[in-house]
Amino acid sequence: MFIYDKKLQYPVKIDKPNPKLASIIISQYGGPDGELGASLRYLSQRYSMPFDEQKGLLTDIGTEELGHLEMVGAIIHQLTRNLKDSQIEDSAFAPYFVDHTAGVYPTAASGFPFSAASMAVKGDPIADLTEDLAAEQKARVTYDNILRLSDDPDVNNVIKFLRQREINHFQRFGESLQLLREKLNQKNVYYMNPAIDI
Amino acid sequence: MNKEDRNMGEGRLPAMAPLANPYVPFQLDNPAKYEPRTALVRGTLFAGLDLPFMGMVNKQEQPVTPTTQLQVISFAIQELALYLDTHQNDKEAFELYTQMQCLYEEAKKEFENQNGPMNHFSVNNNKTYKWLNDPWPWEYAKNKEV
Repeated sequence: MFIYDKKLQYPVKIDKPNPKLASIIISQYGGPDGELGASLRYLSQRYSMPFDEQKGLLTDIGTEELGHLEMVGAIIHQLTRNLKDSQIEDSAFAPYFVDHTAGVYPTAASGFPFSAASMAVKGDPIADLTEDLAAEQKARVTYDNILRLSDDPDVNNVIKFLRQREINHFQRFGESLQLLREKLNQKNVYYMNPAIDI
Repeated sequence: MNKEDRNMGEGRLPAMAPLANPYVPFQLDNPAKYEPRTALVRGTLFAGLDLPFMGMVNKQEQPVTPTTQLQVISFAIQELALYLDTHQNDKEAFELYTQMQCLYEEAKKEFENQNGPMNHFSVNNNKTYKWLNDPWPWEYAKNKEV
């Protein structure tokens, strides 16, 4: 089960509101490579993992991603505090504002609402872990792109932290895939689907 | 292995690797580690995995408070947990993980003395229900008041 701890994984303290920046960063809340999809992907894939190493890693990384979802939500909230009408009218935030005001809604920066179609659970451990490697890379690039577009150090410190986590997770998924392979037929790791055939 | 010989950013690949498979080099045991407070700032406990974008290194030291102290310890435990998930026989990492768990209890106590209960399972030393009291983690006091 899950228990809520009343703290963030890494501090989020943003001095200056910036609705334009919020309209970009919202993608890591509910976009195609965002933290909501990440947590759902890993916490859902773990059920079909046949071995303990992958059950443990997917549980641990999936749980951390929920913490990242909360951090991204905190960024959006703090970037959209106490806005003046003129700040909303003149910014790329206006289309989001008309639908969600200053609420935090899982959507891509493009306006496409969160879709489970942006993640996959194939039910085959090699296929799912390979998807996870790609997912971490795509999230890393999204954070790269946010760093290109943002010059607020209060925001960027948090983004750099989140970006670095994608690299660490990529490393662990790669290692976990190797641990999985070592338990399969070395001549042909695709001989069967270990989720259902052993 | 002495500190100087520790793996900084190299890994191990299988000697004879089956074709048509993706490989990530396996991080060697006992890799070089940052101090826990640096690890939180950099987003990784492991120096070899610290790969910033366009030289944008996070150097923003966090003030030493009960909250950041708990975040520092929690993060070290999280990093060691993920590492141990793929390196369960690394004795040094397991020892550090155990040490950090002991420090966590103390850090949690300090955090709760300042902020109130961390979760509903915290031992209650208060006369009244404090869960609803500030601070909520996603709010920043400085921009809270209108």
